[in-house]
Amino acid sequence: MDNLNDLKAVWLHVKTDGLPNSSQMISIIKTNRDKTLRRLIFLIISALTMILLVLFASYFFNFKLISSKIGEGLIISSGLILIATNLNSLNRFYKLNVCSNKEYIGFLEQTRKRQLFYFKYTQVVGLAFSFVGLNLYLYELVYKNQLVMIISYSLLIIYFAIVSFHLRPKTYKKGADKLNRELENVMRIAQQF
Amino acid sequence: MSNLNFKEIYETYAPQIYRVCLGYVNDQEQAKDLMQETFISVWKNLSSFKHQSKISTWIYRIATNNCLRHLEKAKRIITTELPYDIKEETELKQDDKVKFLYQCISELEETDRLIISLVLEDLPQTEIANIIGLTIGNIRVKVHRIKEKLTCKFKKHGQFE
Repeated sequence: MDNLNDLKAVWLHVKTDGLPNSSQMISIIKTNRDKTLRRLIFLIISALTMILLVLFASYFFNFKLISSKIGEGLIISSGLILIATNLNSLNRFYKLNVCSNKEYIGFLEQTRKRQLFYFKYTQVVGLAFSFVGLNLYLYELVYKNQLVMIISYSLLIIYFAIVSFHLRPKTYKKGADKLNRELENVMRIAQQF
Repeated sequence: MSNLNFKEIYETYAPQIYRVCLGYVNDQEQAKDLMQETFISVWKNLSSFKHQSKISTWIYRIATNNCLRHLEKAKRIITTELPYDIKEETELKQDDKVKFLYQCISELEETDRLIISLVLEDLPQTEIANIIGLTIGNIRVKVHRIKEKLTCKFKKHGQFE
């Protein structure tokens, strides 16, 4: 093209004076980094708070029944599963630095497998632990009053039914759809190479 | 990591990276987002940069990877053509020419958008090959074809006499 220089001149004519300066960019980067850290810290603090509350309640109420002890153990286990799984996922994303498209496709495929595993097994185990744990834990607190027991267990069952059969599949589908779209996009682009 | 180094890098490359991102998405806000994501990656990885390639190659590679993986808002890309009833002898104003060029580029295939953007940034074809991950021969052929496509579009609008 004889007129490439003309195109270059047009190309360079685009306005770039509205871009943030370097100090503003550093501030944006720090805000972004803090946001990611805040999410991580919030998640860990929430899970730890739940664990501490269970331990505190156990100490404060001095539970007698073995069901309460088992329930306590199961709830703490589900909290630990939540922390471990999410820390592991975040670690994978943090380690994803500059990589080729082929490596990125591998990363996405691995993410898809992990997502499916999380949905089918880890989340089921976590939910089962917390559901059974809460049922057992609650028993000693309510078994003396039949009405309170019925209300408490009904609310617990409704809550877990909503989480398990509505929120969980919906969240998974949303995540899986996004991941599949991303994978399709990267694979389509890979074919251009 | 020294803030000063990052500042120097940012001041040097921000406009170039912004133009490449704008060529890819043809949307100023999305281009700014992509540029920010690029410099967030640069900030995070600058200390581990091993100088195995030129810093410009490394930064452009991050930017082009970000562009290729950009998905969520891609649907908002404006693909409508400029009106074709513009008379051939009409010379577009400079701002319209800019819009027209970026629009023409955004209508190309994804990799082609990036290749021509890097050509227009005056990068040598060997460096473009390194950034995109194609052979120099492939880049040469692609650049030739892209130029033909762009020339055709521009001639159609009477931009090249």
